Formats: sequence, structure tokens, C-alpha cells
Amino acid sequence: MSLRISEAVIWQETGEGVSLYHTETGDFHSLNDTGSRIWKLVASDGEREPVMFKLSREFAGSSSAMSRQIVADVRDFIGTMIEQGLIEEVPSEKAEKAAT
Amino acid sequence: MSRAVVLGGGFAGVLAAAVLARHADEVVVVEGDRYPSGPRPRRGLPQSHHSHVLVAGGARALEALLPGTVGALLAHGAQLRGLPGDALILTADGWFRRMRTDAHLISCTRGLLDEMVRRRALASGAVTVWEDTRALGLLGDAARVGGVAVSRRGAPPETVRADLVVDATGRRSASPRWLAEIGVRDVEETTVATGLAYATRLYRAPAGLAAAIPAIMLHPGPGPGRPARGATLFPVEDGRWVVTLTGTRGGEPPTDEQGFAAFARALRDPLVADLMAEATPLGLIRPYRDTVNRRRFFERARLPAGFAVIGDAAVAVNPVHSHGMSVAARCALRLGEELTRHGGIGPALFPGLQSALAAEAEQSWRMAVEADGEQAGAGTGERAEGTGAGAAERAGAGTGRDGAPRREPNAFEREIRTRLAQAKLSNPRIAAGLFAAQTLLSDDTATDRPEIARVLSGRPEPLLTSEEAIGQYPGLAAWLRSRLAAATP
Repeated sequence: MSLRISEAVIWQETGEGVSLYHTETGDFHSLNDTGSRIWKLVASDGEREPVMFKLSREFAGSSSAMSRQIVADVRDFIGTMIEQGLIEEVPSEKAEKAAT
Repeated sequence: MSRAVVLGGGFAGVLAAAVLARHADEVVVVEGDRYPSGPRPRRGLPQSHHSHVLVAGGARALEALLPGTVGALLAHGAQLRGLPGDALILTADGWFRRMRTDAHLISCTRGLLDEMVRRRALASGAVTVWEDTRALGLLGDAARVGGVAVSRRGAPPETVRADLVVDATGRRSASPRWLAEIGVRDVEETTVATGLAYATRLYRAPAGLAAAIPAIMLHPGPGPGRPARGATLFPVEDGRWVVTLTGTRGGEPPTDEQGFAAFARALRDPLVADLMAEATPLGLIRPYRDTVNRRRFFERARLPAGFAVIGDAAVAVNPVHSHGMSVAARCALRLGEELTRHGGIGPALFPGLQSALAAEAEQSWRMAVEADGEQAGAGTGERAEGTGAGAAERAGAGTGRDGAPRREPNAFEREIRTRLAQAKLSNPRIAAGLFAAQTLLSDDTATDRPEIARVLSGRPEPLLTSEEAIGQYPGLAAWLRSRLAAATP
């Protein structure tokens, strides 16, 4: 499954990180540095794996334990964002092509 | 033979009596005052000198209760104004554009409204009104109210048996005390102070402009820490206007001639002051300060069978929200529905009756408390939520939804809130939703979210200047131009 920012979300990068407004719930959210980084990668890459890969290279270096931690954290973060309706899962293009 | 007694013969009481007359053999209204002989203010109702409007949801309920009443009001000069199609409204965020929606209000003096409603409600002769009669207390015990003790002027106290007693005595209701006297001691009460005072004066409008102008509402400007000052001008029957100036603590409107005019002149726009200056004052400037929102949760108490509370006696919101009479009409309508559903006055009616009546006031209470709570909080009542997202670090700004400390909104939040507020001023769908809720036409206060997403993604509509806003009403704009021309040498 691919990921995309919900159409109900208005977001902006600010000096404090990424700020979000969910037009359906009326809720505001502010993401810290790491959350903002993940958010922007989701917006640009639209897939879990590239996000995990890039963050792992950025922060874990050669530490596999750190790498596992980052993967788990990214999964948690994206899961929470999906639960809150901020990020949506959509069938990936590859999967759709394979199905046809 | 069944008998219902209604305590209080004001707007809520008379409507309740009209409803009860369809289900009881005898209905008695106990009224402490004497009714005026025409559409005039009532002595025991100080609020009757002030501005009164019936919002669309209330007008709809009134028409369902007493068909033809709204038409009769309009025929006697009451003024109907669409919202915001016939209303010139300056909010903290700017002027509303003129847009047609289903929302409206009907403006007239309280005297006319009461007279028209009373005439129709009591026309059948099924309701007996005891004027000059004071209610002294309830008869019965914590399980069952069986009547009331009353005192007619000059006569010794007497008791009146009743199968149902309805308290419609308004803000000053003694029901908590009366209930305590028969063993019901757990009526919760909550109040939300507004710090608001207002002063009202009636005017004879200049010829040609009386009924031709929109309703005018000048809200306080933005800015916490300063008294919030505003004004309304509503056209009413007989070529008159009722002007109300409002101010929070430290900025209360004066009641002397010069002070009243100067207060209006110092508002964010001088329109109301200009209109006052050309109109003829009728009578005194009358102050009013009892604007606290007060709710007595009778529905949470173990109320005795045979007793109910309706109108301001249960839920009284700050009068500036203009909901009191409309909620009373909705409650009376609901009383009728409950009576029909349960086969009239009897044991099946009582257990859920007070909750049903309270439900009709819920939306108004929620909106008033939210608005006044923010005002009392000096304009800092914005919600500020963090996020529960917990990735490598906990995201968010350390705030939560419930009880967590609030943080200052960041620039993004401020911009979104400003754009949302400004979108209401010009977007017909968003304005329709807002005014439908404000006029109790819709109990869905949720905004049109898809439209909001669309609006926030596009370019904002420019705000109207004062000249452009007034120019939406050609008659008023022409009058202001001619006034200016006359004053220019």
C-alpha cells in the first residue's frame, strides 16, 4: 500500500516543524523535527520503505539496533497518522499493475 | 378531571399553557403581574424594554404551536431580516457579505410579541389566567407534586390541586427552594459569567428609513485584555428602532444622554451613532446587567412526578444570544410532543419529561457558554491540540485535549483561524451552516468541512471595506451620502 497525505489536511512547514490542520475534525497538530522529517518524506515519496531507508541512513549509520528502532518508530508514527486520518493508505501503482 | 398549573404567564408560560390545554381538562396560569392592556412592556418584566428577536428555529416552533402567529406579527409591523442577507454585520474579522440563506430573525418589541402570542394562546378560553397571584411553593413530597400554594392579591394563601405543575417563572425561579422544601435537594446549578452589561433605547426612525434598513450588528473587535464593546440596531414595528449598546467589565455602556451617544460614536464603525443622531429618542436609556448564563440541571435531579420546569427557569442564556424566546417555543413544542407520545398527563409522561425539555435547550446552552467562555477568557479560548503521534520523538507541542495546558497558537494556526473566520464572511455554504446553527434551524454545529478544505486551498476573498459593506444596502448608502452632502458646506 502506498501512502498519501489526506486531502482533508492543510499543512505547512514552519520554523517549529510541520503544522497541520485537519479540516474534517477541526484539529491542529504540530510535529516535532523527526515527525516533520517523516511527514515530508511521506509527502514526497509516498511509500513506507523509502522513508525508513532514508531515515535509517541518515540517523542509524552502521548500527543495526538503531536501524531497527528507527523502522519501528516510523511504523508507529505512520500508524498513528493513519489512525488520525492525516495520512491515507492507497493501493500502490505496482500492486495495481500486477492485478491487471 | 385533570388540571395543569403553569407558574408564570410570560412567553414560555403562555405557550406551555396553550399546549397543556390540548391535554388537560383545565389549565390555570399563575401570574404575579398584571398584563398590560396592549402591546406594551410589562411592569414585572424589566427585560421587556430591551431588544427581542425570534430566531428562525424559534419562529418555526411558534408557528407550529400557534399557526398564524408569525404572519400576525409581521402584519403588525414586526420586521423579518435574513441572515446575513438583510443584516449588516461587522464581526471581529470583518464585514459579512450579503448572502441569502434560510436563516433569519424576526424583530419587534417584547410587548407586541407577548400580546400576539397571548391573544392566540388564550383565545380558546381553555386557559384561565390568575393575574396578581404569587406562587408560594409546591404541594406534595419528593415522589409526587400534587399542586401549588398561591396567594392572590389581598386574599389569604390557598392551595390548588394539579396533576402537573410547570414552572415557567424565568430566571428568578424559586423552584430549587420549593423542591428543597418538599425534600428534593439535589438540583445542580452552573453559571458562566459574561461580565457583560448593556443599555437600550428606543428611537423613532427618520422618515423613509424606518423599515428600509438592515439589522445592524457591530461586534467587538479583536484584542484580548480590553473591554469588548459593540452595538445592535434592530428595526421594530411602528417605524421605530431599538438600539442596544454592549460592553464588558470596565467598558459598560453609560446611561446618560451624552455618554450613550459617545459610546456609540467610539465603536469600530460610527454607523449606529450616525443613525442614532438622526433618529428621535423615545423614552429612557435602560441598563441591563443580568446576563449570566445559568443552568439548573433539573433533569439530573430525582424530580417528583407531576412537576417540570421550562424556559429560562431551567436554562437561561445571556440575552445577547437572542435564544431565550426561541428555546422556550421549542421546549413548549417538545412538551406537546411528549404529552402526545405518552397519552397525556400521566405516570408514563413524567420520568423522561424534564430530560426531553432540557434537550431542546442544549444547543443554545452549549453555543452561549462556548462564546461567552471565550469572551470571559479575554479571547484566548482557542483550542490548541498537540498530536499523539509518537515516532522517534514525541511529536507535538506538549499540549493535550483534556485539561492539558494550552499553548499559544503558532503562526500557521493563527493564519488558518483567520482564514476560517474570514471565509464565513463571504462563503455562502459556510455562512449558511453558521447561521442555521445560530438561529436554531439546525442542531448540527459541524461546519461544512469539504467546503472549508476547498476554501483553505484557494485564494482568500478580499475583506469588504466599511463603504463596500454599507454599499450592499443601496437605501442606507444613499441616506448616508445625502447626510454627508447636507453637512458639507
